Amino acid sequence: MAAAGAEPGADPAAGGVRFFCTAGRGLEPFLMREVHARLEATQVEYISGKVFFTTCSDLSSMKKLKSAERLFLLIKKQLPIAASSLRKGKILNEMQRLINDDPGSWLKAISLWKKLLEQDTKGGKVSQRDTNPLKRKVEENEIVSAKKLKLEEIHRESHREDQRIRLPEDSREQGGALTRADGLQEQGLQNDLVKTADTQSQEDLTFRVSCRCSGNIGKAFTAQEAGKVVGIALMRKFGWKANLRNPHLEIFVHLSDAYSVVGIPLFRVPLASRTYIQTAGLRSTIAWAMASVAEIKAGALVLDPMCGLGTTLVEAAEEWPDVYYMGADVSDAQLRGACDNLKAAGLADKIDLLKVSVTEIPLPSQSVDVIISDIPFGKKFKLGKDIKSILEEMERVLRVGGAMVLLLSEDHHRHLRDCGGSSIPPTSQGNITDPEMRMFLNPDKRSGTSDTASPSQKASSSQCPSRVVPCGSLVPVECFKVSLGKTDAFICKYKKAPTSGPPPAGCHEPGAPPEMATLPESPRLQDSL
Amino acid sequence: MKLLTHNLLSSHVRGVGTRGFPLRLQATEVRINPVEFNPDFVARMIPKVEWAALVQAADTLNLEEVPKEPTQGYEHDETFLRKMHHVLLEVDVLEGTLQCPESGRLFPISRGIPNMLLNDEETET
Repeated sequence: MAAAGAEPGADPAAGGVRFFCTAGRGLEPFLMREVHARLEATQVEYISGKVFFTTCSDLSSMKKLKSAERLFLLIKKQLPIAASSLRKGKILNEMQRLINDDPGSWLKAISLWKKLLEQDTKGGKVSQRDTNPLKRKVEENEIVSAKKLKLEEIHRESHREDQRIRLPEDSREQGGALTRADGLQEQGLQNDLVKTADTQSQEDLTFRVSCRCSGNIGKAFTAQEAGKVVGIALMRKFGWKANLRNPHLEIFVHLSDAYSVVGIPLFRVPLASRTYIQTAGLRSTIAWAMASVAEIKAGALVLDPMCGLGTTLVEAAEEWPDVYYMGADVSDAQLRGACDNLKAAGLADKIDLLKVSVTEIPLPSQSVDVIISDIPFGKKFKLGKDIKSILEEMERVLRVGGAMVLLLSEDHHRHLRDCGGSSIPPTSQGNITDPEMRMFLNPDKRSGTSDTASPSQKASSSQCPSRVVPCGSLVPVECFKVSLGKTDAFICKYKKAPTSGPPPAGCHEPGAPPEMATLPESPRLQDSL
Repeated sequence: MKLLTHNLLSSHVRGVGTRGFPLRLQATEVRINPVEFNPDFVARMIPKVEWAALVQAADTLNLEEVPKEPTQGYEHDETFLRKMHHVLLEVDVLEGTLQCPESGRLFPISRGIPNMLLNDEETET
C-alpha cells in the first residue's frame, strides 16, 4: 500500500471498488473489523484516522457502518508531497500533478461514482439528498453538525492530522473549513467562463473541492490555497465547472506529511450522524465500539448503570435486537432525555429505565450478562473512593463469565492500573498484521502507552486509598485508546472470573495476558443463550 | 416499567439481602404498549423469569392469568409466547409503587420509571 504511484480508485475487474472511511482516532481497529465483517472487505489497511478497503458491497450496505465518520470513494492515495524540502512553487506543481499525472484514475473514479449512485437509486433505498446534486441546504445542516462536533473536539491534539469534520487549524483561522473554497468560487467562475468556450466536448459536470492540509504543507498553504490549485487543475484538465452552492460532485483532498489522499464523499450526511438518535450524549461511534466488544448475545440482559441519554443502549439495541436492556441514572433530566431517545428510536420495548445509583443497584448478584458504562469524567467525581464503589457494585451484579466494558478517562484508567485493577496496556493498535501499516501510524499513537504513564502517574498513585485491587474478580481483557475530541479515553473490557480459588492471573501482574477462554461460564445462564 | 424489569428488580435496602425479592407491585396507572411480537426474543427471556414473582405481579394488575409454569416446549408454543410477550413487554406500569417485602420501604414509580434511590441512612452499613 505504500506504493509511490497513484493507487487506482477502483478496479472492478479485480472484484471490488476501493473506498476509504474517516474514523475517530483510535477507532480504526473497530472500523477495520467492521468492514471485514459487514462488507467482506479485502485489502483492508489503515493510516491514522482513515481506513481503506476494497468491497463489492453496495452503498446501502456501507451505510450500515457504525464506527466510521464518513465514507469516500478513493481516487488516489500516494506518498506525501515532501513539503519541507520543496519551494512553494514546487509544491504547487506537485499538487497539480495529483490531477495531471494520471487523469485516467480520475475518470475511472467518476464513472464508478456515477454507477454506484445509479445502483443505489435503483435499489430505492436511498433518499433523494444522497443521489441528487449536492444541495446547499443539506450542506448547511452539515455545517451545523460539524460545528457542534467541533465544539466537542477543539484543541484536542497539537498536530494537525484530523478527521475531516474537524477543522484544520489553517482554515479555522480563516473562518472554517466548510467555507474553504469561497476563494475558489471567484477564481473558479472566471476560469469557468474561459474554459467553457474551448471545452465544449467535456462533461457537463460541476464540482467543488474540499481540501485539508496538515503538517508541513499546512504550514506552507492554507486549505483554501491548496483547494484553489486543485480546483483550477481539474477545470483545466477535465473542463468540469466549479460550483460551490450546488455541485454534482465534491472532491476531498487531504495532504499531510504522511500521505496524499483524494476521494469523493458518497453521502452528504456523515455515517456517524444516526437517523435513529435524536439527542446524542456520548458519540455514537464510540458507543457502538463499546457495545461491539461487549459480546452481547441474543437473550442477554445488558445493563448501563450510568446511561445518561441512553446513546450506548440505543447503539447496542440497534445492532443486537434480541436482547433486554436496562438503563439506570440518578438524574431525572437525563432519564427524561433517555426516554425520549428510546421512543424516537422505536426501542422502548427493548430498553427499560430506572432511577438508580450505580453504587446501589437493585438487582440480585450475578443477574446481568453484560455491563456497558461511560464512567463520568468530571472533576466532581472523586477518583479514588467513587470509582472503587462503582466497580464493586457493578462486579456484584455481573454474572461470572460476563463482560464489562467501560469508557474510562485517562485519569481513571491510570488509577485503576496503578491499583492493579487494570493491568494490560492499551491495545489500540488493534489487529495490525501488515507490518507496512505500522509505518503509517502516528508517532504519538505508537508511544501512547508510555505517554499516559509518565508525568502524573505518581500523583494519582498517592490518591489510591489502599493497595486493594478495586475490581476484585474483574479480569482485564483488552483496552483501546480512543479520542473523544478534546480528550482521550480508554475503552476497557473486563470479564468476571469466579471469586473462589486463586485470584485470576492478570489482575495483579501487569502485562500478564489473561486467558479468557478458560473462564467457566455459568451453566444456567449459558443454557438460556 | 415492564413486568420483565419488575421481575429482575430486588430491594437493595441494607440488611435485606435475598429477602428483598420480589418487590410488591402496586399500580395506579398502567398502559399497554403494543410491541412487535418477536417469538425468539420472548423464548430467550423465559429462562430469566422468576415464575412465581411474575404470576403474582400479573395477578396484582388483574392481567389475564399467567400459566403456573412455562409449558413444555414453550419455544414453539406461539399461544404461550404471545401471552408472555404481552405480559412481559407490553404491559407498562406508569404510576405506582414498589415495596420492599422485608423492610416495607416504598419506591415510587413515576412516568414509567421506578425511583430506587436510597437515602443515606438506608445505604449505611
